[in-house]
Amino acid sequence: MYNRKTIADNIFYVGVNDRQKNLFENYLPLPGGVAYNSYLIIDEKITLIDTVDASLADVYLAKIEAVLQGRAIDYLIVNHMEPDHAGSIGLLKQKYPNLQIVGNRKTFDMLNGYFGINTQLHEVKEGDTLSLGKRTLTFYMAPMVHWPEVMVAYENSDKILFSADAFGTFGTVDGDYLDACINTDKYWDEMRRYYACIVGKFGAPTQNALKKIATLDVQIICSTHGPVWKQEREKVVDLYDKWSRYEAEEEGVVIAFGSMYGHTQQLTEAVAEGITAEGIKNVVIYNVSKTDTSFILSDIFRYKGLIIGSPTYMGGIYPLIEQLLFSIEHRGIKNRLYSCFGSFTWAGAATKQLTAFAQTMGWELVGTPVENKQAVFAQKYQEGFELGQAMGQKLKSLR
Amino acid sequence: MKYVCVVCGYVYDPAAGDPDSGIAPGTTFENLPDDWICPICGVGKDQFEPEE
Repeated sequence: MYNRKTIADNIFYVGVNDRQKNLFENYLPLPGGVAYNSYLIIDEKITLIDTVDASLADVYLAKIEAVLQGRAIDYLIVNHMEPDHAGSIGLLKQKYPNLQIVGNRKTFDMLNGYFGINTQLHEVKEGDTLSLGKRTLTFYMAPMVHWPEVMVAYENSDKILFSADAFGTFGTVDGDYLDACINTDKYWDEMRRYYACIVGKFGAPTQNALKKIATLDVQIICSTHGPVWKQEREKVVDLYDKWSRYEAEEEGVVIAFGSMYGHTQQLTEAVAEGITAEGIKNVVIYNVSKTDTSFILSDIFRYKGLIIGSPTYMGGIYPLIEQLLFSIEHRGIKNRLYSCFGSFTWAGAATKQLTAFAQTMGWELVGTPVENKQAVFAQKYQEGFELGQAMGQKLKSLR
Repeated sequence: MKYVCVVCGYVYDPAAGDPDSGIAPGTTFENLPDDWICPICGVGKDQFEPEE
């Protein structure tokens, strides 16, 4: 019943869509679902590349069987041991007991730890090759993109990079898996959110991996999440390069605010007016109580400017803003233009702590942070407007 | 003194060295070669901080 989907001669897409899961890693919203990709190469040695989340193993095994029609798998390449890709290894091993697992030393430590599998292993190191018959795979280590054991496999006749999580994105693959055959518009924001949340901390290792990949002639990128990239492969690599250098994609400002009774929100309006008054069009305002942190984090990767507003809450920062700050610090985001504002009723703390955050991150503090007591009147509104203007002027100076 | 990789959390312990990379036990962090890389995630020495 499954249509066999071919990437190249005798290379099949056998991935699955997860439209049920609400939260990736049990905390990141999945409004458009996610795909777990796996690829099957039919050659003298029948070779499977990565597996899928165990919750979809029945569909997955049936897809494999539709291609194999009774034959057995010789090699399972494990590029990444995270359970969304490695989850079906145990079941595969039961169904195809003679398969050899190909990985590196770190893979095998995890394989033993998660599955108790420690035999029929084929260890590969940086630059090692594995002949499958007509085709040959070459392996390159890509540690911390996004776990330490991650590696990628390069198929040199059709110039296909099996890239593990690198170049992956949230979002199911609908109908066809190949970028040229589908409208890819929905993926770009979700790819950035995926990168920011999953790989965002590991900019330096991602740069190391990109340098290795740059030496290869890659025509097709087969990631473990989202479409297969052929037509858009250069754009995808460029984006990953930009994000892993923590370089903003475009001019603009994210304003993330928390507000219990609307006063910090009023300052937000003032700041935003100041920014657009300087001719900056991209102003994106997030109420942290309404929008999940992952979407805000994604736009912080996108834009150069960031302004955070928070009321003082129990002598500190509003809890949901604190969560955002933690997410930013954890990713080590560099080179942002930053400022902040806040309000309080009897003793101000949030604005001071938000101001100190610039130093924590090593960011330039733009303009004068605004701290407002109780309701917002004309003077503080004006200060908020001027803070926005200062950010707008700073961004214009970079044009 | 032990040093921690800020990227992956690996701890370099001078008492243990890094034998897989040819670093003998007893080698201080300062005496590691400049081209030594984190055995877990592959970043350079500049990505390490003293363990608190």
